[in-house]
Amino acid sequence: MAHQENAIEIRNVGKEFPGVRALKGVSFDIIKNTVHCIVGENGAGKSTLIKILTGAYEKSSGEITLNGKPFSPLKVRDAMSGGISVLYQELNVVDELTVEGNLTLGKEKHQFWFPTKADDLKIAEDILKSFDESIKLKTLVGSLSVAQKQVIEITKALCAECSVLIMDEPTAALSLGETGKLFKIVEQLKKNGVTIIYITHKLSEIFEIGDFVSVFKDGDMVATQPIEGMTSTDLVKMMLGKVVAESYIPSKGDRSEKILEVKNIRTRKLQNISFELFKGEILGFYGLVGAGKTEVSEILYGHEYEGEVRINRKLANFKGVRGAVSSGLALVPEERREEGIFGLLGIRENIPLMKLTNILKHGVVNRQKENQLADRYIKMFSIAARDRNHQLALLSGGNQQKVVISKCLNRESDIILMDEPTRGVDVGAKVEIHNIIRELANQGKSIIVFSSELQEIVNLCDRIVLMYDGAVRETLHNGDDISMDHIMEVVAGKEV
Amino acid sequence: MNKTTYFLQTETQKVVLVGIIVTIMIVLSFTSPHFLTLRNFTNVFLKVAVIVIIASAANLLMITGNFDLSVGSILAFSGIVHAYMCKHGVPIELSMAITCLAAIGWGSINALTVSVIGINPVIATVGTLFIARGLAFLIARWDGGANIMLGLPMEFVDFGRELIFGKIPLAIVMMVAALAIFIFIEKKTVIGRYSFAIGANQKAARLSGINVVGIVSLLYLIVALFAGLSGILQASRVGLAAPNVAKGMEFDVIVAIILGGTSMMGGKGSTIGMFLGALVVGFAANGLILLGIPFFYQSIAYGLILIVSLVLNQRIGIKEGDS
Repeated sequence: MAHQENAIEIRNVGKEFPGVRALKGVSFDIIKNTVHCIVGENGAGKSTLIKILTGAYEKSSGEITLNGKPFSPLKVRDAMSGGISVLYQELNVVDELTVEGNLTLGKEKHQFWFPTKADDLKIAEDILKSFDESIKLKTLVGSLSVAQKQVIEITKALCAECSVLIMDEPTAALSLGETGKLFKIVEQLKKNGVTIIYITHKLSEIFEIGDFVSVFKDGDMVATQPIEGMTSTDLVKMMLGKVVAESYIPSKGDRSEKILEVKNIRTRKLQNISFELFKGEILGFYGLVGAGKTEVSEILYGHEYEGEVRINRKLANFKGVRGAVSSGLALVPEERREEGIFGLLGIRENIPLMKLTNILKHGVVNRQKENQLADRYIKMFSIAARDRNHQLALLSGGNQQKVVISKCLNRESDIILMDEPTRGVDVGAKVEIHNIIRELANQGKSIIVFSSELQEIVNLCDRIVLMYDGAVRETLHNGDDISMDHIMEVVAGKEV
Repeated sequence: MNKTTYFLQTETQKVVLVGIIVTIMIVLSFTSPHFLTLRNFTNVFLKVAVIVIIASAANLLMITGNFDLSVGSILAFSGIVHAYMCKHGVPIELSMAITCLAAIGWGSINALTVSVIGINPVIATVGTLFIARGLAFLIARWDGGANIMLGLPMEFVDFGRELIFGKIPLAIVMMVAALAIFIFIEKKTVIGRYSFAIGANQKAARLSGINVVGIVSLLYLIVALFAGLSGILQASRVGLAAPNVAKGMEFDVIVAIILGGTSMMGGKGSTIGMFLGALVVGFAANGLILLGIPFFYQSIAYGLILIVSLVLNQRIGIKEGDS
């Protein structure tokens, strides 16, 4: 590539907020017609840079050139007219309008206030068809799949004649198949001369579609390198500054005491689910979306069912969440923000909520006990916070999750259910949370992990329950001989 | 960060409210000769007392993310029921007890519709608002008049006009008691903690094993009980029970609470803030009357206070969320 041209040149760009240097003067080039990935933990400064590029923030120092011309957008509109478009993680399509309505939204032509067809519609339609023939202009967008909605967003971006497209974790809500489709589109965009800045937490994606990668850490750009010749260990090392190659470590405790036994559970969705859980064990549930993992966790956490659940050999006939909690179960929910944390409250107030008696003295909340409890968990899990009063909403995802786990531990439950324990958490925090889970098992807690990430299940769990279509297909013991291919076949419904 | 700036940042709303109260007081003491009199202050506090008694409970209810628009009607209903029973020979203590139970009855209707069944609190409690008010008029009519005034026994009036330690009106003592109880509940008890948790994230509260329905229901009962007590107190102090008393009082209560920094979405707020908010409302109303400003201007001023307080609330909320 001798004649490579730079789409964007970034020189010593810095951003200061009162009291914080979010971006400490970074410099690198983004070459035209490439997919340039940006990775880094939460708070590393990558979103600050993106916000500067899109005009949402004004840079404090440094220079940016776009296609050779100085570029300093003051408003989001400036960036758009400069040719930079963003595909946000949250989709900004209007479900109630048709595909056509979405594509022309905001630029409808009209005569005496009666809308007429936009000329650009033809162009838009052509672009749309080049990605996905099956999308019809008259379809309601609400009836499309997430990937198809993304296609519509991309089409909108291309209609605005963008030369640089920023994609912010575009696959977060996509299934495997849809992700593949999106990657094909990315390839095609590259061919059409669009430069792509691709932000992601998933390392595998970088290797699949990236040409270059810039690693951010603590407001600095650590390295910008071509992907070719790089291994994922190299990349993780750059991101963390240390090597973390995770692999399965068996739980150390004596795993012979049966703590939970589930026999022939049936609901409308589940067929004859049976499994057991031992003291000090990490049990994993793996299956594709719709296989019934969530339903299993719901039953253990108080939903109605037919069949038998025994905890410590005693028949568990509790009803509702409160019954489950008092029978010794605690749940780390999947949707952390909506179901796990109390965002307006501080760490100190969040942790004791499942068992306030731990901070009472003579029946009254004791500030000293409360502070001690909070400080103990902050130290134990190295929760990164200003102090124990730090509002949960303002913590990073990983630290929020640590607080949710602390809350469950304070309940002193024997069985902890964890639904997608590391979703939306950066790589470093993910490893930390995995280590916390292992440590809990070694201390004699029994843990059930429900995860849609196979790597996580395989790294973490002592035994793995594979689900397909509402039924348990196979239960594996983890070890060296575990085969990912075999697991994928089972959960995809292949007969074994 | 040093302690003073931390205090100023977290308690902005209260600092602003104290500033407003002090400003109103300074302006009024120069412009009206009647302002700085014991009589005027007693009047202001008697008016504020009823709001504060109800709002102390309603404040915690709003912290859970719920609210009660029926308090004014429950107050009127309770006054009428109490007066009716006293007039027709029921001993005053028994009458008070029955009235309180009746008030709690309204509270349990609210608890049932809002907390158990899950109807929007605006709709459900407006329903109670109309029914309780209507029944108050109906009972007054049975008695044969618009108000229940003639034929009330002496004890009926004595109760509300009692002076504690020979000086302090009972209403003010009850206000202080209500404040003390709810500051304690808010800061020191399980109910207080759960209320904040429910308001901050009801779903997470439920999944944490917190009895959401129980706590919210309990608060609806307490709010209604306090409204009932206020009804007894007010009727007794004035010496008559009128079915149209305390119309719009639910808004006085809500304005005091919101001015005090409690979020309508829940999860945030304080009893002390609410008290300061009630004082702002009380002194502002007092000032408008003392300065002889016609009532329609008062209404306009009142609306402005409400909107400004909401904007203030929102701005401070955004600042915290952004940092």
